[in-house]
Amino acid sequence: MIYQILDKVDGLLRIERARAHCDIPCGVYDPIIAQIAALTVVRMMDLMADVEKKHPDKDVAYHNSLARYVTVKEEHAIKVKDEIRTIWGDYMKAEHIEKFPELHGLVHKIMQLASKTKQTSDREAGLQLVEAVNQFAEIFWKTKNVATKRAKAPYLPNLELVYPVL
Amino acid sequence: MLKLLRVAGDSMAPDFQEGDFVLVSKIPFLFRRLRPGDVIVFRHPNYGTLIKTVAALGPAPDEVLVTGIAPASVDSRKLGAIPLRAITGKVIWHARRVGPGRGR
Repeated sequence: MIYQILDKVDGLLRIERARAHCDIPCGVYDPIIAQIAALTVVRMMDLMADVEKKHPDKDVAYHNSLARYVTVKEEHAIKVKDEIRTIWGDYMKAEHIEKFPELHGLVHKIMQLASKTKQTSDREAGLQLVEAVNQFAEIFWKTKNVATKRAKAPYLPNLELVYPVL
Repeated sequence: MLKLLRVAGDSMAPDFQEGDFVLVSKIPFLFRRLRPGDVIVFRHPNYGTLIKTVAALGPAPDEVLVTGIAPASVDSRKLGAIPLRAITGKVIWHARRVGPGRGR
């Protein structure tokens, strides 16, 4: 009641704004960062699986390469979690949750899968992570009424990604 | 001593949403110091009128450090310390947005 009155008053008198300013222009959200990060996780798992063939005697170069792949895998799994949490927490509003009731469960699944890809080198978990993030991207673009398509990424590991049709 | 303002932007979400109204007053902190957690409105030379949460008092005696609630919010790392004289007031009343509203 009071809100409606104030809203009308604002329409007439234009009440001063107190800006709750964001660091990035609010409204700039895109799941592609999380999607690419998820692909990177799988790519690192593939490189980890290959590294032994390249360095059969497990010399210092082997350990160096393996350590780098694990580090990048770790970073990108964390990036998936950060990006998805930000879109889910900051962009998604009550009306989106109402329209896509599966969203909370899907985000939780992504968090769990991303953790699994950190703890293990299980490629199947990596593939599931890519697919879950793709499903999140589909919902995200639906909230903006943007159509999507699925296409194979033109770089290794050549997995299918959801892209907006703009 | 009282001022009605409307929130624009999402850095204080979910506590304060775009389109909410807030009533601010200087009276409460004439009698006692601001505390971390208080929500204040202040003027900033680069950003204009802002609404933020007090993160900490100091570093100078007449300054406070501020932060938002949302992760992407700007805070005192960018804004610097806020001098007390720049503070319009503390939020003493809050009307949450109902329905779509006029928003921004």
